[in-house]
Amino acid sequence: MILELFEGMDQVFLEVAQALLPLLIFFGVFQVALLKLPRVYVMNLGRGILVAFLGMVLFLQGVNVAFLPAGREIGEAITAFGHLWLLIPLGFLLGFVATYAEPAVRVLGYQVAESSSGYIKESLIVYTLSFAVAISVSLGMARLVYGIPLLYILIPGYSLVIILLFLTDPEFAGIAFDSGGVATGPMAVTFLLSLAVGVAAGIEGRNPVIDGFGLIALIALAPILSVLALGILYRGTRGEE
Amino acid sequence: MLQGIREAIVEVVQAVLPIILIIVVLEIVVLRATPPDLLLFLLGSVMVVLGIALFLSGVKAGLLPIGEAIGSEFSVRGSLALIIAGTFLFGFLTIVAEPNIRVLGEMLDTVTGGGIPSGPLTLVIAVSVGFIVTAGVLRIIFGVPLAYLYAVSYAAVIVLAPFTSPDFLAVAVDAGGITTGLLTIPIILALGTGITSVLAGRSALTDGFGLVGLASLGPILGVMLMGMVYS
Repeated sequence: MILELFEGMDQVFLEVAQALLPLLIFFGVFQVALLKLPRVYVMNLGRGILVAFLGMVLFLQGVNVAFLPAGREIGEAITAFGHLWLLIPLGFLLGFVATYAEPAVRVLGYQVAESSSGYIKESLIVYTLSFAVAISVSLGMARLVYGIPLLYILIPGYSLVIILLFLTDPEFAGIAFDSGGVATGPMAVTFLLSLAVGVAAGIEGRNPVIDGFGLIALIALAPILSVLALGILYRGTRGEE
Repeated sequence: MLQGIREAIVEVVQAVLPIILIIVVLEIVVLRATPPDLLLFLLGSVMVVLGIALFLSGVKAGLLPIGEAIGSEFSVRGSLALIIAGTFLFGFLTIVAEPNIRVLGEMLDTVTGGGIPSGPLTLVIAVSVGFIVTAGVLRIIFGVPLAYLYAVSYAAVIVLAPFTSPDFLAVAVDAGGITTGLLTIPIILALGTGITSVLAGRSALTDGFGLVGLASLGPILGVMLMGMVYS
């Protein structure tokens, strides 16, 4: 079983190294040609990168051996159980906790709190995104169960984005769009996608490849809408003061 | 940094505990998992917790400062050619190296029956990310409101979507999610705040954010256009 835990880890290691390489080269060229930061500082940055690299390998490996199979098996088991509507509340619950655990969401929250000097709290961003993804996943499950075409959700959703964009506080617009990008991190894509694939495999007439993607699109959309809405609320409270 | 890692572990345990508990309950109640299966899941979860804690500490100590240093250097130098070439190259390279693009290529093969090679797909996605992130950086510098850039891009998606074949739409939307990988997010986030930190009269919140969102929007448009050309 210990072997199972590390199965495929060499592959993960190579993939993370491959993704890191261009960043290192880019920074290296910048450092030598333009930045010329002090040596000690660069050594510290290097240590940070190494730690981030190791962390990412461990994290992805853990997700692959523990969360990916769990997602698929749970999806298949619930579908086999028969009461398909159960997938909708379950999707809400799992969407919430998966985003709550997503590291990229924390990075965004941290960066927003830093940039706003604590005016917008990290926890506010984390809870808003978790709630938004919870809604997207339950919607995605409803779509799988009842066979609703994706465009019927996406086109009104995108249109709503454009409308809210002009009503919201400009300080929230950038954060809103970045939220869509961070919510589709490894937790969501690996765990929630494998859940959806497990469900799609169990329902007749669903194509796991085609139906799986709809979930990612929804997970990217709902955080944008909810942070834009949050910006409207903030604008409202500021107006009253 | 050790102190940072220790603090991060406490924070990460809090973040990951809810999902672990729910999965354990589901494994026992729904899947009737055996003790060895449960143990494997729990050991994997320990790896996840350790991994995220290391990753977050490393991001704060390494990746965010690098992004900010490059971003502020861009603004200080003030050379538009450098900014355009640098940002484009950065967006392009991170995508070419992104391992998940291969997964996307395989998916494209499945849905189209192998009609479209994955080489051009990678190129299209890399160029669209390079292009749109550069546009995003230029808008920060010239002070164009973010809303305009996004409204135009989303309007384009809405107009193109009904004309794109469902297969390409599938790949397009997935491409959007994949380009914003764990390593690129902190750097792109910090690039934006780094640029605004040096420019006068810019707010870190209003102007510094939005680049990650563009990086995931660009490929959607790029792949949709590619689909129209192919079909």
